[in-house]
Amino acid sequence: MKNQNFDINVHYVTRVEGHGNIFVNVKEGRIEKCEWAIPEAPRFFEAMVVGRNFKELHHVTSRICGICSIGHTLASLKATEAALGVKISEQDLKLRKLALHGENMQSHILHLGFLVLPDLLGVGSVIPLASSNPAEVKTVLRLHRLANEMSNLICGRTTHPQRLIPGGFSKIPSMKELKTLRKRLKDSIPDLQAVAGLIKTLAPKLPDFTRETEFIGLTSPDEYALYDGILGSTDTGTAPVNDYLTYTNEYIVPISTAKRAKHARDSFMVGALARFNLNYDKLSPLAKKTAETFNLKPVCHNPFMNNIAQLVEVVHSVEDSIKLINELEASGLKSQSIYNNPDIKPKAGRGVGAVEVPRGILYHDYTYNDKGTCTKANCVIPTNQNHANIELDMKALLPQILDKTEKEIELNLEMLVRAYDPCISCSTHYVKVYFI
Amino acid sequence: MRIITKENFTDFINALIDDDSLNVIGVKSKGEKFAFDPLNSADELRLDYDVTLLPPKKYFFPQRETLVTYNIGKSFSARESPDPNQTVIVGVHPYDIVALLHMDEIFSETKSDPYYFEKRKSSVIIGVNMQSMSKWCFAPYMGADTIEYGYDLMLTDLGNRYAIAIGSQKGEQLLDKYAKGLTNALARDIQMVGQKKREVAAMCKQKLDFSPDLIPEMLSNFYGESAFWEKHSEKCLACGSCVLVCPTCYCFDVKDNPDLTLQQGERVRTWDGCLLEDFAKIASGENFRATRPTRYRHRYFKKGKYLFDRFGFISCVGCGRCGSNCLPDIANPVSLLNDMYREAQQSGLEITAPTAPDIKIQTGTDIDYVPRLATVIKKQPMTSMETLFEIKLDDDSELGHNPGQFVEVSVFGVGEAPISISSPPTKKGSFELCVRRLGNVTTKMHALKEGDKVGIRGPFGHGFDTEQLKGKDLLFVAGGLGLAPLRSLFNYVLDNRKDYGKVTLLYGCKEPRELLFSDELVALSRRDDVEFKPTVDRCPESEIWSANVGVITTLIPQIEFNPESVYAIICGPPIMYKFVIADLKKRSVPDDHILMSLERRMKCGVGKCGHCQINHIYVCKDGPVFNYAKIKGVPEAL
Amino acid sequence: MKPKVAFFDFAGCEGDQLQIANLEEDILTLLGQVEVVSFREVMKEHSDNYDIAFIEGSCTRLQDEDRLKQIRKNAKIVVAIGSCATIGGINSLRNYKEIDDVKKAVYGENARLFDTYTARPIDAVIPVDAYVHGCPMTKEEFLSVVKSLLMGKKPEIPNYPVCVECKKNENVCAFERGQYCVGTVTRAGCNSCCVNEGTICWGCRGLIDNPNENSEKEVLMKYGLSIDDAINKFKLYFGWQERRK
Repeated sequence: MKNQNFDINVHYVTRVEGHGNIFVNVKEGRIEKCEWAIPEAPRFFEAMVVGRNFKELHHVTSRICGICSIGHTLASLKATEAALGVKISEQDLKLRKLALHGENMQSHILHLGFLVLPDLLGVGSVIPLASSNPAEVKTVLRLHRLANEMSNLICGRTTHPQRLIPGGFSKIPSMKELKTLRKRLKDSIPDLQAVAGLIKTLAPKLPDFTRETEFIGLTSPDEYALYDGILGSTDTGTAPVNDYLTYTNEYIVPISTAKRAKHARDSFMVGALARFNLNYDKLSPLAKKTAETFNLKPVCHNPFMNNIAQLVEVVHSVEDSIKLINELEASGLKSQSIYNNPDIKPKAGRGVGAVEVPRGILYHDYTYNDKGTCTKANCVIPTNQNHANIELDMKALLPQILDKTEKEIELNLEMLVRAYDPCISCSTHYVKVYFI
Repeated sequence: MRIITKENFTDFINALIDDDSLNVIGVKSKGEKFAFDPLNSADELRLDYDVTLLPPKKYFFPQRETLVTYNIGKSFSARESPDPNQTVIVGVHPYDIVALLHMDEIFSETKSDPYYFEKRKSSVIIGVNMQSMSKWCFAPYMGADTIEYGYDLMLTDLGNRYAIAIGSQKGEQLLDKYAKGLTNALARDIQMVGQKKREVAAMCKQKLDFSPDLIPEMLSNFYGESAFWEKHSEKCLACGSCVLVCPTCYCFDVKDNPDLTLQQGERVRTWDGCLLEDFAKIASGENFRATRPTRYRHRYFKKGKYLFDRFGFISCVGCGRCGSNCLPDIANPVSLLNDMYREAQQSGLEITAPTAPDIKIQTGTDIDYVPRLATVIKKQPMTSMETLFEIKLDDDSELGHNPGQFVEVSVFGVGEAPISISSPPTKKGSFELCVRRLGNVTTKMHALKEGDKVGIRGPFGHGFDTEQLKGKDLLFVAGGLGLAPLRSLFNYVLDNRKDYGKVTLLYGCKEPRELLFSDELVALSRRDDVEFKPTVDRCPESEIWSANVGVITTLIPQIEFNPESVYAIICGPPIMYKFVIADLKKRSVPDDHILMSLERRMKCGVGKCGHCQINHIYVCKDGPVFNYAKIKGVPEAL
Repeated sequence: MKPKVAFFDFAGCEGDQLQIANLEEDILTLLGQVEVVSFREVMKEHSDNYDIAFIEGSCTRLQDEDRLKQIRKNAKIVVAIGSCATIGGINSLRNYKEIDDVKKAVYGENARLFDTYTARPIDAVIPVDAYVHGCPMTKEEFLSVVKSLLMGKKPEIPNYPVCVECKKNENVCAFERGQYCVGTVTRAGCNSCCVNEGTICWGCRGLIDNPNENSEKEVLMKYGLSIDDAINKFKLYFGWQERRK
């Protein structure tokens, strides 16, 4: 209807982490305004860590996010360890990968089950689903609990994990505990298939929308990169992690307290879909099969399919975790003190740690002086890197759905934002603002 | 005594572990320290340890233990029956065995703790003589470095073999069933064991400058030395470490935990400590040991004086855990006592060892932790803060109390509170409680309706001796809520009026609208066989009051009494007692003619959890009714 | 009649609200006791008619104060969840920094980006009825507070240091392991979870009512920490509480 006049003002989009606003203004069928604005309070993390000792940084930066806490902690530890020249053991590397899998599983299941499923079933939240679809809700809760208990076992707890420390782990699980975990992971596969089955029946409700964009994430010749890798892009070649600034190019926009990023195009996307597009061939067998049932193939440019990519990643994380535990069993788990505290000598240096957290690639960049005190810090959050892509997607989607009702348009725009699984309060962490 | 080679001993331990009907606990390394933990194999055992982080008391008196379970609004039950498996604890040092013997006496005195003893009975103690000693340990001074009894088996390391002393039939049977290759000890083995035991004392790095016999007497002399206690407690963090790791500490707290459905729940006891800030705090906010020096002093007195007076032993075994765990390093008893001794010497104080008190420890029936179900049959608000409840036990039995006793009232899911019984035993079929709305339990009680269920434990405490008071003149002095407990005696006296002499009631409140039992007081003022004088501190403009205005002591000059035959019975807010007693003393009332009912924070009701303790007295057991003559020397009482 | 509850978040990481999601199956039991009328992170619907409001995050801007005051008006009971809301949390660390950094920035038409002031706990702006401390709060303590409120009783929060729980859990004291811990002045209730995992207590639950701070600082220095580092340790979580003294 070319003569429409309406406004959409969604203050604080629901079912996303953090506060984001959608502003749309259509006059005479013309789109006058279509904005994705972040009003979240800035949090000043890069300022808070300056002056603190290298042993403390991970504790502070883990508080950037309650959901990707493990990811922030690991990126932080990698940056510190890179700056101070600390190497971790093969065993600790595997355990950290397990930690990241636990987080990926927890976050994706929460997102799909609590935040996205209500849209697909046409309800406001998961709460009425507890009465109308009790079996499905219980399945989601079971999987969520398994993911959390896995994180508890490896890291101490999901949010602000205590066991992750510079140089390794303060405490590690026993082989017996890992074996029990492995069995539980194997036993969870029917539950995963049930959830996949449910989402398959609902998948047609995901809009069939594409807009070509760039995808950025970690990539590796050895595995589906989550913990380690180099920078990869669907548009350009790879680069070492230390060159991350050329892959982010953060800038400010007036409507947002969060920065935005760009690389080869005006925007790019990070997250499960980006990883899927970059590293599809490294996915576990069952994960690939899951992708197949949804007809999801690289390179997919439909942001709504980020949801499906997340489901695929959950399956991959479960399978890869089983593989990691098998490896630990084969090599034998070396025991360590229950109060492990690696001896690390401070020295001056700068290090960058890059890790794939559920929402995309995360960078922590620290500079230390010779006393081991942080003098400078920079964090680039995945959701920051997505903000520009979200807005451009909105601008491209809106004309295509103008013939729907206002309520439906609003819902579609919200579903678009939700598909990115944004973590907004993490993304407003900077302090220094320069206006040109 | 037997001998076993080290290999056969390893097999013995592994045989115990393999038996699924046994829980085998042993000393294992934990970080750089040691702890008692379940053994998975004999090679984990570290019998060469110096001291464990926590003493083995955690197996008999655990950090957290369910006492009672309940269905909210419906019933209370004893917690589920214990683990049927026997527990074997390997590697207990003599000082920890001495501590368990102390705990045995403490937990069986007057009333016996069934949960503690069921675990003691189903356990086997395999002790080991000390091979190394922590630098904080002073067990030799406390006579706890070796012991001849209290264990089922006692090991001594003789190099390539262990000597095993048999302490009980249980121990002997354990060896018969699981050990192989035992031989009888030869004379030279027995000699070596004696030698090893004598060598233990030489490992001690602490030095007590005087004989521990002098401790109780010396402490008594230092009670009032505030500067001494302030100096030593200045750095106290009130962290409770010293008491939580102590093998002879046994104070506990009790809390109710409903589950999320709010349909059922459990009552749980957990370790508590008198060094913690709120230990002696009551619902009204009053804290009877609010400062660090008073709490710090209390610990030394409890161990070195009060328990000595009650049981005849100093309740410290010199294990050194308190000293080693205190971060500001103020908890080592040796340092404090040496400093005290030095000061005593400097001031020329003569300290003698007290003769051991003549102790008759009465053991009795088991403590009943499970409340009896009762119903609120009547609820009558009296003032804005106080409501009178009439309660009947569901099993139709009489409460059977003496005036002055109290009950512990359980409100489902919320907790338990001690409330004085306000009706006389002559009132049959039900009893009355006057409840002031203050904390969680009493607030919830006020929200109950007639017909609602509560739990009742008790009656507890030492009430008034109604026989002794027969024929005497009775002067009741009640302040505010203090009338509630006194009413149980007062109405009893009225029900048996001819048995008593002149009866006077002085009753004071802050303002007229706070008067309790106002209808009864009106009836009382019409009687000619009772003298009744009320007073209020002040009367606001809006209220009508024609009687005395002034604090309660202003009434005392207004009445006549014969100091020889009068008995004063006092109850009121903590501040009142001092002033009333002073005025009575001015009128020559003898000390032992003054009775009073005191209030403290009470939890278990049977003198075990430690919360109501005033110096050496348990208010719940030795009180709440006290004779002034006995209590006037007790500094914390008034 | 089930009480109506609502959840709000301010400047925080949403970790405490995640603990509620982490209740897993207990969520269903909880939903049997309360009616959730507003929880932006999880549901679309919103209502201003609620009995109990749970608030996460610190107040870091003047504009947040209005939102808080409105919540206080609507709710009978306000519960602060998580350290950011109860004591200012890690956000209060930046209060020491603010002035320096602010100097370096340029104001302009984007001045609203600096609509930020000292990070503070919720009770600095509105009266709070109950607290669930911790960074993050634990599920157990959250449920315990909820149960207390449902039973009409005041939640019982410990007023003793973490040492009590640490000793009960038979941990080897951090100081004995060459590390530096502030558990001696930090409020217990977490079951010494961080020390149980092999590390130290960082103080996330805030100071107890009457901490012996001088003694703790002396202990830290006795074990080898410089006075600056000892003071730094207190800045991590105690920033707001220390200022208030």
